[in-house]
Amino acid sequence: MPRAAMADLFDGIVMAEQRFHGEGYQEGFAEGSHTGMAEGRRYGALHGARIGSEIGCYLGFALTWHYLLQKCTDEKNSKKIRALDSLIGMIQKFPYEDPTYDKLQEDLEKIRGKFKQVCSMLNIQSDFRIRTERSSLTF
Amino acid sequence: MSWVRVAVSQSNEDIFDEDADEMYLLQKEWNSTMKKRLKEGYRDGIEAGKELALQTGFNQGYRHGAELMITCGQFKGTLNALLSWCRFNGHDSALSTINNLLDVVGKHEDDVLKYLNSTEEQPHLGHILDSVQDMDLNHTAGTEYKEVKDGKHEDSGSSGENICRNNGEVGSLQSECSKENLCTDPENSTLAWVKKQTVWLVEQLGLSLDVLHHVQQLEY
Repeated sequence: MPRAAMADLFDGIVMAEQRFHGEGYQEGFAEGSHTGMAEGRRYGALHGARIGSEIGCYLGFALTWHYLLQKCTDEKNSKKIRALDSLIGMIQKFPYEDPTYDKLQEDLEKIRGKFKQVCSMLNIQSDFRIRTERSSLTF
Repeated sequence: MSWVRVAVSQSNEDIFDEDADEMYLLQKEWNSTMKKRLKEGYRDGIEAGKELALQTGFNQGYRHGAELMITCGQFKGTLNALLSWCRFNGHDSALSTINNLLDVVGKHEDDVLKYLNSTEEQPHLGHILDSVQDMDLNHTAGTEYKEVKDGKHEDSGSSGENICRNNGEVGSLQSECSKENLCTDPENSTLAWVKKQTVWLVEQLGLSLDVLHHVQQLEY
């Protein structure tokens, strides 16, 4: 067989192999993207849910106490109210639904710290036992 | 190289009986090689596709989960504030009511988490080798074509790869929607009920209008 023809045959085989690999790759990529999205969404949703629940809890707690104490204007209470307002402000500025926020962990820690401070000022234990059975969400 | 020569020999040529066995073996070898390439490609593709999609999916899911839970959390915090207030002010009769409401909210949160954690999704159908028909494999018999086609994909019998994909996606969207309905309807009614009870409680306790409005404004 002439050399040129041989070279063509080799090319033909290599191309065929590449083509089959490529077809498989495309199919696999689509499949991987699909399962990756689903898996990623699942993990993301659980993480987001925990954060949403925690932040929401702090916010609801702080807002309620803010309104409860609003009528009492003595010095001790105004200190508490200032702390509550500070916590509320921090939470309202926090983009709780954005996982790409660069200061996420930092701000979250600040909020948690402030919450503990507010609880101690109010003489409340900061680790609520929301449910008597095991809670799926622990801060 | 003789196997290649035989494999690509045009169908016009007569194949003598003595060569028939050799022909069969050579084509089997060809198919086996190409099948391997296909599988390798598939594995490589899955890895690449998954890596890319995980982060995107995570970000989407995170937002969804956070938004789903934020109001639930607010109910939890509000009720806890009322609980501690009642303890300080001797409204012991209200304590069990509030604890019950907290239990309801807690259970609801667990249900939402379960829903978010469920992994039901439609299997992704694909017809990997529908496009093989494009390739220059005229000399291979129909049965060998089916051999190279892997069993890893369900053969739904539909003609186009795209049709299958679309059906798969629509199916998975539908199942997700129905799951969501299953969850958000109870969610709406559960939190609506909790809200109603909390409003009643606040009124009973004679708390300020501000507190009442705060509870009334909790959106789900």
